[in-house]
Amino acid sequence: MASERYSFSLTTFSPSGKLVQIEYALAAVAAGAPSVGIKASNGIVLATENKHKSILYEEHSVFKVEMITKHIGMVYSGMGPDYRLLVKRARKMAQQYQLVYNEPIPTAQLVQRVAMVMQEYTQSGGVRPFGVSLLICGWDEGKPYLFQCDPSGAYFAWKATAMGKNFINGKTFLEKRYSEDLELDDAVHTAILTLKEGFEGQMTADNIEIGICDAEGFRRLDPSSVKDYLANIP
Amino acid sequence: MTAVVPDIAKPGFSFENCRRNAFLAQKGYAVPKATKTGTTIVGIIYKDGVILGADTRATEDTIVSDKNCSKIHYLSDNIYCCGAGTAADTEMTTQMISSQLQLHRLNTGRVVPVITANRLLKHMLFRYQGYIGAALVLGGVDSTGPHLYCIYPHGSSDKLPFTTMGSGSLAAMAVFETRWKPDMDEEEGKKLVRDAIAAGIFNDLGSGSNVDVCVIRKNNVDYIRPFDVANVKGQKQGSYVFDKGTTAVLSTRSIPVDIEDISITPIEPESMDTSS
Amino acid sequence: MSILAYNGGAIIAMKGKNCVAIASDKRFGIQAQTLSCNFDKIFEMGPHLYIALPGLATDTQTVQQKLKFRLNLYELRENRRIHPKAFASMVSNLLYERRFGPFFVEPVIAGLDPKTFEPFVCNLDLIGCPNIPEDFVVGGTCSEQLYGMCEALWKPDLLPDELFETISQALLNAVDRDAMSGWGARVYIIEKDKIVVKELKTRMD
Repeated sequence: MASERYSFSLTTFSPSGKLVQIEYALAAVAAGAPSVGIKASNGIVLATENKHKSILYEEHSVFKVEMITKHIGMVYSGMGPDYRLLVKRARKMAQQYQLVYNEPIPTAQLVQRVAMVMQEYTQSGGVRPFGVSLLICGWDEGKPYLFQCDPSGAYFAWKATAMGKNFINGKTFLEKRYSEDLELDDAVHTAILTLKEGFEGQMTADNIEIGICDAEGFRRLDPSSVKDYLANIP
Repeated sequence: MTAVVPDIAKPGFSFENCRRNAFLAQKGYAVPKATKTGTTIVGIIYKDGVILGADTRATEDTIVSDKNCSKIHYLSDNIYCCGAGTAADTEMTTQMISSQLQLHRLNTGRVVPVITANRLLKHMLFRYQGYIGAALVLGGVDSTGPHLYCIYPHGSSDKLPFTTMGSGSLAAMAVFETRWKPDMDEEEGKKLVRDAIAAGIFNDLGSGSNVDVCVIRKNNVDYIRPFDVANVKGQKQGSYVFDKGTTAVLSTRSIPVDIEDISITPIEPESMDTSS
Repeated sequence: MSILAYNGGAIIAMKGKNCVAIASDKRFGIQAQTLSCNFDKIFEMGPHLYIALPGLATDTQTVQQKLKFRLNLYELRENRRIHPKAFASMVSNLLYERRFGPFFVEPVIAGLDPKTFEPFVCNLDLIGCPNIPEDFVVGGTCSEQLYGMCEALWKPDLLPDELFETISQALLNAVDRDAMSGWGARVYIIEKDKIVVKELKTRMD
């Protein structure tokens, strides 16, 4: 397209050298629903708040925790529509890798590629950065992995982290509670407790979502098993 | 959108060698034949699902290039597909469709129906006008019950209760036509499929070796490979191990390999840096 | 005549016990005229991974370069050695991309798993259909003869020394019945801790 030549990136440097668009995107993330990821010795847990504004809302119809391939899962804080685009891209990239090399995509590779897409949206013409931060967890060759992916395209490997609303408190809480030899069940417990830190109102199986990933692969917990975990929370 | 980082490989087929190859063909060097599967593949619907069967011979012209190849391909947990024709085409086509079905399953969040697999396959084959030489027997079980399709390289398809494909299809169909009946039980069905494949193995030169069988039921799949070793290789009577030094060697060079250790370097996470 | 037989060449790869071997002749000719008897058809793709590309010599070299390019990118991107199976899949993809205008090579791959050191052999047809057997694979102008020799000589669990004699004798005797290949031969015995390369004395006619 001829007009493309003249369409410049909306993400441009401010005189002080800041990319304010990315900072605004991060602000969108920090205002979004909280999500937590914890790496345990035998798996990873992702958890997020999925609160509904009205009691008329049909629960368990739109999900925030999504599977990318059998062994990789993802959750976000920030804007839902942006997230779903990234989920679709991530799934496609995972399948492409599988077709070329006939082996499942390593989590780090997927994260790198998703991050590349996010970076592209900070430097291309006519687009805005994604308003989401992602938590991507995966299980490769007997090892758990947990990554965070930011709107700038930066990505980090975590043992445990929190994003979204109240993420600073969440992180402080995790720093106190985390230990290296955590089991998956305890990690789920800790993840729920972390969410509970800033939770307004009653936490139920209908307003949080949990995904776990271990040697068996990634799966989203159904409300009844979430309920069982919640029953053990004081 | 303009890509900041251009992808290296363009998707889709590349035709960069076509002109050269056409020139060579015109000079009398015909394009060599690719591996065909020769093949007898069959499928039936029985009481609780679908049974697919295949032989295991791959041929390159008259040479047997693979004595135990696998012709029943995975499409999704509830759908499998037998392939006959050009081996690379059946292999790649089923892999690509399997990948699309997986994406479809993730995006829709439900078990993909067999008819969707049939649609995707026939669309793809029709698009290539028969140049992708894949003849397929597609079988699976979904929420609406068992389904069996037979898909031709040009993109047409039949929905049938029993079907055969490949060079041994006539021999196998003879068995089905005499013995198939509706609502067979599993043992009877497996026996019938075995016998149909065996008819192909023993009467068609393009088919041979073993019988593979795949039983797809409502909730699970049994992929039995081999189901029946129809041709057992004889034991060698003598040994042909040569004494050390039989082969005259001009020079020897040894390249030592240092085996690398795996070490993990933890990377300290940093906060995102967007400021200067 | 097939274009695959324009330059001549013969390849075998065989599995042994905790080792694999890959062997090729060294002739390069244009039809019946021999031009060189030191032409490489086997290429190193990693410490335990070798690929042979018999067929049209120009494509042998082009495909080798394209593969090396993709392999280098893979290893840089993932910071690890490729598994022979993934490599075979990569080769298969490269060839199938040119499904309607193929390269005239029929690759043979031999290697060990980078972690478990499990032996692996595989061959592909010119449009990339993989064949991964439990015993041996062959390629080149005298594949009939090579198949015959290997079917007779190969047995399971050959030790590196035995494997060397078996693969060498299979190759030497097969190329004696092929005018297009021979004129020197090279054998790679791939073991966990070393690769032994042997140049064979052959007939030069």
